[in-house]
Amino acid sequence: MEYILKNGIVYDPANNIAGEKKDVMFKDGKIVDNVSSDAKVLDVTDKIVMPAGIDPHAHVAGPKLVVGRIYRPEDSRKGVTTKTDVCRSESGFSIPSCPATGYRYSRMGYGTVTEAAMPPLEAKHTHEEIMAIPNVDVTPLPLFGNNWFVLQWAKEGKIEEIAAFISSWLKITKGYGIKIVNPCGTEAWGWGGNVHGIDDPAPYFDVTAREVLRALSQANEMLGLPHSIHVHPNDLGHPGNFPTTINTLECVKDIEKSSGMRDQTIHLTHAQFHSYAGTSWRDVESGATEVADYINKNKHVTCDVGQITLDETTTMTADGPMEFDLHQLNGLKWANKDIELETGSGIVPFIYSGKAPVSSFQWAVGLELFLLIKDPWQVCLTTDHPNAGPFIRYPRIISWLMSSERRQEMMDNLEVRVWSYKRTSLGSLDRDYDFNEIATITRAAPAKIYGYQDRGELTPGYNADIAVYDLNPNDIDPIKEPAAIEKAFGNAMYTIKDGQILVKDGEVVKVVPSHTLWTNVNGFEEQEKAVMEQVMPTFNRFYTVKFENYKVHDHFTPYPIVTEVQAGK
Amino acid sequence: MKTITLTLKKKSQIALEFDELIPDEVFDWEKDDFENYQVPVGNKRFPLTDYFDLEVEGTAEGPEEVKMILEGDCGRVKYIGCKMSAGEIIVNGDADLHCGAEMTGGKITVNGDAESYAGREMKGGELEIMGSTREFCGCSYIGDWRGMSGGKITLHGNAGKQLGECLSGGEIYVKGNCDILAGIHMTKGFIQIDGDVTRWPGGQMKNGNILINGKLGILLEGFVFDKIVKDPEIDGKSFSGKYIKYTGDIALNGKGGLYLNAEKNRELL
Ligand SMILES: [Zn+2]
Ligand SMILES: [Zn+2]
Repeated sequence: MEYILKNGIVYDPANNIAGEKKDVMFKDGKIVDNVSSDAKVLDVTDKIVMPAGIDPHAHVAGPKLVVGRIYRPEDSRKGVTTKTDVCRSESGFSIPSCPATGYRYSRMGYGTVTEAAMPPLEAKHTHEEIMAIPNVDVTPLPLFGNNWFVLQWAKEGKIEEIAAFISSWLKITKGYGIKIVNPCGTEAWGWGGNVHGIDDPAPYFDVTAREVLRALSQANEMLGLPHSIHVHPNDLGHPGNFPTTINTLECVKDIEKSSGMRDQTIHLTHAQFHSYAGTSWRDVESGATEVADYINKNKHVTCDVGQITLDETTTMTADGPMEFDLHQLNGLKWANKDIELETGSGIVPFIYSGKAPVSSFQWAVGLELFLLIKDPWQVCLTTDHPNAGPFIRYPRIISWLMSSERRQEMMDNLEVRVWSYKRTSLGSLDRDYDFNEIATITRAAPAKIYGYQDRGELTPGYNADIAVYDLNPNDIDPIKEPAAIEKAFGNAMYTIKDGQILVKDGEVVKVVPSHTLWTNVNGFEEQEKAVMEQVMPTFNRFYTVKFENYKVHDHFTPYPIVTEVQAGK
Repeated sequence: MKTITLTLKKKSQIALEFDELIPDEVFDWEKDDFENYQVPVGNKRFPLTDYFDLEVEGTAEGPEEVKMILEGDCGRVKYIGCKMSAGEIIVNGDADLHCGAEMTGGKITVNGDAESYAGREMKGGELEIMGSTREFCGCSYIGDWRGMSGGKITLHGNAGKQLGECLSGGEIYVKGNCDILAGIHMTKGFIQIDGDVTRWPGGQMKNGNILINGKLGILLEGFVFDKIVKDPEIDGKSFSGKYIKYTGDIALNGKGGLYLNAEKNRELL
């Protein structure tokens, strides 16, 4: 089937197309540069056309989500819809049901999302949930930052063992890259503690976050994975944590990048939670300027923000000790889980309110980062869904980024408290994002950061993953019309995935199974074999499952997209 | 004034859901609007007239001018008066789950028993049940920590477990007996129980007051003796008689007040 999207105004940052009136053509699921006269014409005259959105960091599938849904029925009752001819009924606001997750991304014009924390032991279950999420491809990142094997080898400086282990575990778990959460801290939580800063050793293993980060980064580059290490640093949410963040980024600066697909060697996730100065919540100040300055000066770093949306949401992370602190702070219900030799996790509901000084401050720090980081290729739009707010708020965040007037209005009419401008520099930032920068932070940059070679741009041969928004960029003034921006980005005129129209005029019109993206490293087979011989005795001794039941078999990824990597190339 | 009388002619095995049939929604409905209305039953809808005979008299400008009378055993009619803000509903029979849930105003009278979750998350108005109710009367939605916050529930019969769970405002009066954990997690508001209580009123309460005129089976360990009070005044209301006052639940640093009739609970003195 051939299509031509006619007369749209195209934003395709990867191809340096910034608001050009042109046609976009696709055939058999791929972008092409010409079609026959039989092509079906979709008239999108003067409407915004972009590659489909790519979310580089969210929590959408896996045991945390299930526990969240089980213990928060009061969240599930929000967002309930009745089924239609196309869609199943939906439920949930911050932790939507699996089908709702797919539909809601699809309605926003998104086509890909990263599941940012897959415990290898729970990988099977994560993939089962991915199978239940339609319309949006999912890239799962397995957790390695508190893994016993990694901690041991990092201590001993055995980088090749770690690389072989990663290579092997990406195959075993069907994972895409290396996720690190509070390195050494979650392991310390198994002993009732935490670590502070990157040089505070984990109990028993006596290894530091610095050593673990460096080892995993070296292993990442030894294998030449498409994505860099993806890091949730230590000290999340603590006033005065920005030096830890900068130390984290700096500690891998000298490690040489091996993949040509990306520019960075470290991706900092939910930077907002890691950009605080001061010593306590009493004297807290923004550290966004310092973190943004560092990122502006250092091209080995990319980040996503984790923007606060000012909603009641559900926090869930492998940062177990942080969740306990949060529960102590707000007194709401707490779930905690230990994942054997690998990681841990916690869940706590949280209400971010514009009436609260701390929430207002965090809201402003996130926006500061967006506005202070100069190169949009180094920053991505996320809410760390659902931690800082649900992903369905991306359109609203876009409207904030495009309108300094709207931000000022929120501060003036007390939609957010004075800490938003007294403790941050937000009040002095008058930058307004344009549509091209929005297209960069929501599709082109995430695609580049993940080394995707099939999406994120409208290049012939790429997947026909396209979003059309009902906005005429030459007509609308986003500074004056934030509500119209939010509405349009929340209700795509068309969402096209692999050449199929999934959404039309904000309604899901077609449901398709999603793909799972994972990385298969070739050329490291010998090392993998050797490392498995080291791993198995410990595995058999300490895991509660047999190795035979641990592996994610092929039927868990019925629609895989495998990135083949030649180790070290 | 508009009077709407629905007389049950067939009781469904599967519960009917009545949350769309509240004064706020139906004040301007004519008889044929009701006749055309399909009521949710399980995952389908059927004509309301399959289950009820209808009578509509008079006119109403708004919900406050509506009186709805449900005649017959509505023990399989859920969500009666759910989310209503004004007007009156009288049930001459039993009511099923969630009667008066989330109501913000108006009045519901049940001349029979009400199932569990009566007055769940009530914010205002009045719910009077002439018979008994079961678990979670005047409570939160399952999982939530925010319960009934306003209005008044009067129960002439007995209450089940976890009465007023997560109560954060409003008043609950029980003329009969009450089962375990009345006022669990409550933070504010008032519960009065005239009959006997099995055990553990006020578990994990942080604030608010519970007054028991009957005999208490077992007091929770988290309550410490404060004083003996005569004719106490609580939240601006005066009570006559001698009460043993406890403070709790100290497990949560709670400052809640638990008043036990001294006469009936002499062995605690
Ligand atoms: Zn995280
Ligand atoms: Zn995250």
